[in-house]
Order: sequence, then C-alpha cells, then structure tokens
Amino acid sequence: MKTVETEVGSVLAGTISAITQRSIFNRLGGLAARPIQQLTPQDRLAIMAELENSVRLFARRNSVELIASCAQVLGAAGEPASSKDTGAESSGATEKRLPIEQEKDIATARLEAWSEAVRIGLSKFTSVKVATAVSELARNIVFYAGRGTVELRSLRDDRGPSLQIVATDKGPGIEPRKLEEIWAGTYKSQRGMGKGLAAVKKLVDDFHLDTGPGRGTKVTCLFRGER
Amino acid sequence: MKDDSLPIIQIRNCLLVSIQTELHDRLALGLQESLMERVRSADAKGVILDVSAVEVIDSYITRILNDIGKSVRFMGAECYIVGIRPAVAMTLIEMGVELDSVNTALNLDLALEKLELLQS
Repeated sequence: MKTVETEVGSVLAGTISAITQRSIFNRLGGLAARPIQQLTPQDRLAIMAELENSVRLFARRNSVELIASCAQVLGAAGEPASSKDTGAESSGATEKRLPIEQEKDIATARLEAWSEAVRIGLSKFTSVKVATAVSELARNIVFYAGRGTVELRSLRDDRGPSLQIVATDKGPGIEPRKLEEIWAGTYKSQRGMGKGLAAVKKLVDDFHLDTGPGRGTKVTCLFRGER
Repeated sequence: MKDDSLPIIQIRNCLLVSIQTELHDRLALGLQESLMERVRSADAKGVILDVSAVEVIDSYITRILNDIGKSVRFMGAECYIVGIRPAVAMTLIEMGVELDSVNTALNLDLALEKLELLQS
C-alpha cells in the first residue's frame, strides 16, 4: 500500500539517510503510516509544513527539488477539494486551488507554486519569482483579509508554458486613495511594509487588480516561460 | 507548537544565526529581541544572519531583516546578511525592494573577515 512513509521515503532516499528519515517520520506521528489516498487537505498541509522544515534542515543540496517532489507524491492523489486537474495532460492545462487562512498556509502556497512552476518547465529564476509573488499575495490575504484563496493555473500554448496566479479574498478591499499610495511606493502599513502589491506588479508579465471598499480584492497575474 | 526560537551562536565577539525555517511574525520578533539582549550581554561587534537555506525572500522578510539590521546598528554593532541566493537577489532587484539597513557578504567567512577589519 502507498503510504506517506513509503512514497516520501522513496523521494528522500539517496539524499537523506535512513536514520534521519526515521526521525522525520517520527515527527509526523500517525500521519506517516496513513495511506496517501486517505489524506485530507489538512493532513497534506500538516505533512508539507513539517517536511519543508526537515528537508531544508537535512538536505544541504536540492532541497527545493526534494520538497517539490514530496508535494507531488502527496498531491498526486490529493483531494478534489484542494486540487483538481481540469482536463488531462493532452490539453496541457491544470488548476490548483489553495485555501489561505493562516500564516503557515503562506509557506504551503509558496511551495505549491514553486513546484508547479518547475513542473511546467519555467526556468529556475522564474520559479523563484513565482514563489515570491505567491508569497506576497498569500501574505496580503492573511494580513489584511484573514482568509482567501490562491489559484494556480498552468497553461501551455505555442508560445510555451505560462502560469496564471489568481489571489482572491472577501476582505475590506483597497480604497482608491490607498491604492494610489501603493503604486507610488509611499504606502506604509502597520504590519508589513506595504510594498507587496507593487513588488508583485513589477515581477509579473501581466497584472490585473480588481478591488474596492467592501468588494474584496482579486489579483490576477501571469508568468510566461522564456522562449 | 514547536520550539519558538532560533539558536544564536557566538563566535568570538560575533553572533551568528542560521535561518533554516519559515520566519513568521512571532519568530522574527523573538529573534530581534534575543539578538538585542545577546549583543548587549556578549559585547558583540557584529551579528551575522545566514540565509543560505532561505529559498524565497519576499518584501515582508526583507522588512524583518532591515528591522533587525537597524536595531543592531542602534546598539553599535553591525549586521551582515550572508548567503543570499542568486535567484533571490535577482528577484529582490526586480521587485525594487532594498536591503539597506544591513551589510551583505557572500558567505560566513567573508563576513567574519569584514567584521574583523571593523574591529581593528
């Protein structure tokens, strides 16, 4: 049977010693022996949060790739609620919907975005930009709206692969006056530095913002692969 | 929750922190506070933050690093960030985010070297 331990273990084999793997799985507790098919979205988040820390700590090299591969083996049989494949590989389009509700969801979203960017063939540098943009957007959701979602849509056409990111929340929205300050770079929030949104706009190839007082906020942006 | 602090290692009169985990709000504040305390109690001349294990630095993490740099400077010590990955540096440049309250060095060795120059 495919359990978390057997599948993640086969990913980590060769890079992380058996003894260290043992201690990683011990930290996962009962989740380690759980069949992958029976994992709930919450289980996956908990496992990935733990794995991200451990793999970074113990694998000095390729930790990014390892973490991405772990996400893949865990997500391959993921719950339809959190991840759904629209159309098979033939159409080349896949979609992932990530709930953002607390601070640790930021790390998970970042990681999922990264692994998705690598999977569809974006360059290493672009993948870091993707992960950074998702980090900013997810952080904005947690800080200002409390909860929301980040959707990742990968597309492939004759111009190559691209990844669309849609961050949606039903928070307070951004007032026009505040928005002007944000684009001018003069806005300073109490908690963050108020630079996140402007930073994302500079990173992406295409940017669209839909927001207003009481309307929530929806950011749609696109990363294109290099041709 | 798990252990909520990062280990601070002292090398001569420098303090070293290797950031190997997600820097969330509480952890960052705790780090800033304990670094202040240690700079004082150890008479530290420098603080080195190793971010070589950090794959993504966004504007929020940048603010945290700048804040730590500022507070270390207020105490009369210098703060060095070491091990910023090439892709992270490129991303920060594109975002137009500045790391202006800290010094940077390619690696730990070079940071120690620079700090030693400061002490002489």
